[in-house]
Amino acid sequence: MMLETSQYYYPNEATTPIVWDPVVFAYTFLISGADMIILASLAYLTKRLTRAIPLLIVLGISFFATVLFGPLADLRSPHKATLIFSSPHLLPTAETPGISLIAFQSILWIIGLILSVTFALLYFSYNMYLKASEGGKLSKLCRILSLGIRDEASYNKLQPILKGLAIIMIVPMTFWGIYPASLMISQTWVFLWRNWTTLIFAYYADTFVVATAISILVYFIMKAGRVDSEMVKPLLKVHAAGSISVVGITALQLAIWWFWFIDSPINQSIAIVIPFMYLAIVLLSASFLLSIISLRFPVVSVFVSLAAFSGTIINKWNMVVNGQLISATGLGVLELHLPSDWLMLTISPISLGVFIFVVLSFIFQLEVTKLGK
Amino acid sequence: MVLGGQVIGRRDFIKTTSSLVLLLATPTDSLKEQEKKRYAMLIDSSRCYGCMACVVTCAAENNVPIGFFRTWVERFVKPTGAVIFVPKQCNHCEDPPCVRPCPTRATFRDPNGLVLIDDNLCIGCGACVQACPYGARFPNPVKGTADKCTFCYHRLNKGLLPACVETCPTGARIFGSLTEENELKNIVESVPTQVLKPHANTRPMIFYMNLPEEANR
Repeated sequence: MMLETSQYYYPNEATTPIVWDPVVFAYTFLISGADMIILASLAYLTKRLTRAIPLLIVLGISFFATVLFGPLADLRSPHKATLIFSSPHLLPTAETPGISLIAFQSILWIIGLILSVTFALLYFSYNMYLKASEGGKLSKLCRILSLGIRDEASYNKLQPILKGLAIIMIVPMTFWGIYPASLMISQTWVFLWRNWTTLIFAYYADTFVVATAISILVYFIMKAGRVDSEMVKPLLKVHAAGSISVVGITALQLAIWWFWFIDSPINQSIAIVIPFMYLAIVLLSASFLLSIISLRFPVVSVFVSLAAFSGTIINKWNMVVNGQLISATGLGVLELHLPSDWLMLTISPISLGVFIFVVLSFIFQLEVTKLGK
Repeated sequence: MVLGGQVIGRRDFIKTTSSLVLLLATPTDSLKEQEKKRYAMLIDSSRCYGCMACVVTCAAENNVPIGFFRTWVERFVKPTGAVIFVPKQCNHCEDPPCVRPCPTRATFRDPNGLVLIDDNLCIGCGACVQACPYGARFPNPVKGTADKCTFCYHRLNKGLLPACVETCPTGARIFGSLTEENELKNIVESVPTQVLKPHANTRPMIFYMNLPEEANR
């Protein structure tokens, strides 16, 4: 490691350039489930977007339930993973000062999952009774899931509980919406993450983009392209706002770095993430424009999702994987070595989320015309 | 009340019991002494000639896997051509940024100020590796846990010095407790010393002399 070379990194970094494998990238993708649950809560509370609530809540729970499989696959000792719940670092002591965000979020995951599943069960209870009355293979299961609700009057009595759950649910889901960006920026010393001042905002907006893009795509597939504009329009509006926010925040970050590092040797290291950021800006701008067009021509909405996926995949890969390639010294860029099974590992947690969604979609109706029906 | 064949009153019994409890709760002299320790190391870069003996002995002493380092030596060449060697390792910080993110309390500060890892609790999440500003931690592929310098904790318990200190042929590394009268304390208190990345506010316990500016990144 000589002074005259522009590369300066620590030897342990060179051996393990990526501490968190790309499987974490899948993890960040699945977090969009939390945003879908937030959207479902807001839709329920504001009585807007009500037709999308079943889709958002079922899709959201399917993704959120599998979210921890990403980091589980990344652990060096996955057999000890339960220690996060049995020995969580939640209170500061003299020996272990501070609070671990990983432990905090893991506990919030359990709370969030219980709340959202309870919300979903209560929300679908009357619908399950109606489905059970129709008969069919799943009628026994539907009767159990109706939770004893047999008429609209008793279902209406659940509304205050559902409202309460919708309000409380937003808290853990918002924490999850900004996680792991909050971890990256506050509890790591990865050079890029610590200097990515707008990371939390970009990340939060980005997960909304993914959440709405997935919902739009799933709805498009469900309806075999015959999209109902009344259902899709609100999602497109949220999507357009999310996309343009990510574009704006990313451009702002580029400007900040330009001012900070233009005359610094650090600029050479930062250079590896810049092209990806430009590409994300282009693709998400396209997604924004397409969502505006789709408001008038809903059939175009599938392209909104495709453009958004491309943009967010590039953006998240850049944040998570490329971010780790810049040395803690800020003066070196490490070479990317991926494990041979990285693609399989990355896709697996997402596939599990999709599988759970498919199973749940057989049980729960994903589109309602009236609340509870 | 009859105790040991003697009849004692309730008041006496309570007095005796509370004295016993107090006696047990009071640390013994050796324990007090142990708690007072604040282990630290002083590295004089001008004395290091890059023989790597410390790197080798550390790897042998601690079973460090090939390709990873609990301690390493960086080499810098000044524009004048002068070569400077800077040994680095875990700084056993007073305010360690690696302890905070550990989800299972596997990483902790012991009463003597050492930052250690409990292998039984470490799940290998890598959060502490990402949190160390000095690149001193690594995921040990053999153990499946995080790994780093322990100041040879197992040797300290036997009254020995860390392996790297004992091996250094030029005495570039001086080890001791800042709470006791010794060579380390005398130098740290009387000569200006440096620490790595002071802007990180971690209050490192590895002090340097003659540290080149280039090495402090």
